Amino acid sequence: MTTQRIMAAGDPTSTDIWALANSPVLWFCALGVFAVIFVQCILYSRAVKKAAPHVDMPLAEVKESFRAGAVASIGPSLAVVLVAIALLALFGTPAVLVRIGLIGSAAAETASASISASTMGAALGGDSYTQQVFGVAFMAMSLSGAMWMICTLIMTPLLKKGGNTLSKRNPAVMALVPTAALLGAFSALTIAELPKSNVHLILVCISAAMMGLCLYLAKVLNIKWLKEWALGIAIVVSIVAAYFLHTA
Amino acid sequence: MTTTSQLSSADASIARFEKQTSRYGRNTMLIGLVLSLAGPIYIAFFSGLEITGSMIWVAFLAVAGTFGVLWFVEPLTYFPILGSAAMYQAFMIGNISNKLLPAAIVAQSTIGAKPGTKRGDLAAVMAICGAATVHLTSLLLLVGILGTWLVSLIPADIIEVARLYIMPSLMGAVLVQCIVAMKSLRPTVIAIVLALLMNFVLVPLAPTLGMFATAIVVICSILFSWLLRNRKTTYSTES
Repeated sequence: MTTQRIMAAGDPTSTDIWALANSPVLWFCALGVFAVIFVQCILYSRAVKKAAPHVDMPLAEVKESFRAGAVASIGPSLAVVLVAIALLALFGTPAVLVRIGLIGSAAAETASASISASTMGAALGGDSYTQQVFGVAFMAMSLSGAMWMICTLIMTPLLKKGGNTLSKRNPAVMALVPTAALLGAFSALTIAELPKSNVHLILVCISAAMMGLCLYLAKVLNIKWLKEWALGIAIVVSIVAAYFLHTA
Repeated sequence: MTTTSQLSSADASIARFEKQTSRYGRNTMLIGLVLSLAGPIYIAFFSGLEITGSMIWVAFLAVAGTFGVLWFVEPLTYFPILGSAAMYQAFMIGNISNKLLPAAIVAQSTIGAKPGTKRGDLAAVMAICGAATVHLTSLLLLVGILGTWLVSLIPADIIEVARLYIMPSLMGAVLVQCIVAMKSLRPTVIAIVLALLMNFVLVPLAPTLGMFATAIVVICSILFSWLLRNRKTTYSTES
């Protein structure tokens, strides 16, 4: 078994995702992405410190900005942590760290994985979720994430030159297209869960209701952190409900 | 005299800053891109999973049909808010709207800098560095170490339930969050009607459609939302 984990010798039909998803090679790549972002932060901070005095910005303000950003992100980061832990069983730790924790978001990456699985006639998490399906889903969601980065790499220098014409010429399209795309994607994926079983149907309703309740309370009582934690809370409540419905 | 020389030295140092960060940003992002693809390539092609190129292509096309538009639109949307230096940070760290933007705004208001000014831009970059440091540390400790350990402690049957039912538990909430955030009734109704039609009428009739069900719903949602958009505002400019 230990040699299997080191070599990540997969078995296409096995449903033991963790044996494959926690292979040392994946850990190495995931930690590499973390290291790259740390290095980027150090290089950027140094560049800011060099430029700041020339724009009447004392170093105290540079430090204060860093601290303000750090403190402001504690809540959202912990909220992401909760959602990430809930997804560990599905994708293994390294994939969750890179795809859900960093580059992407829980919603988009899980959506991509679910779409990929359905092209193979499988469903995430069920008996049909084999190592092979995991491999294809992981590859497809990483490619999708790569496309985001490639677009950023290509478009940023162009936008800097002032080529931002589409958004200036047709702001209506720019606002409507992503709105319709996201609503279409999440409606399709959510409604695809309904016919799977009665438990699925009830869980979609519980999860949706919890999110609705959290957002309503956050607005009425003016609690900002509740908005950030809403997704995590909805998942935890739904999973607890799933346990009772499943064993009942 | 003094103000002009001050201005030009400020402009020169900002120009140098932009050049430096663009170079650092591009290079680090390229390395991040390669590393983020190396893992899945290893799993897919070097682990004996018998995955073929066409399996990947079909899955990628289905995902592209769903999110392809956003690959282009998101960088366009965030560029005016983030500026070029922070673009390379934001699209690698992720969680832009729920974490990085709020962090940048808090930092700017803490030191009393307006967004879009030079001080504001530098404050935003520092704030994102601060947010990234907290985020990376909490992910490594709480998910990487504690999370992996927690999952190994939790009884297997609970893990099994979590794996079986994570999709409905996540998607119901995500859809509501999306609807509330978008605040646009027509596209919401159009998307839900199309999704119901697809899953309860078309897929049962032609199960092969299932492969591209989400992509088709997305493309039709964009199309119908555009055709059936509220034209009251555009009439005035067109007539």
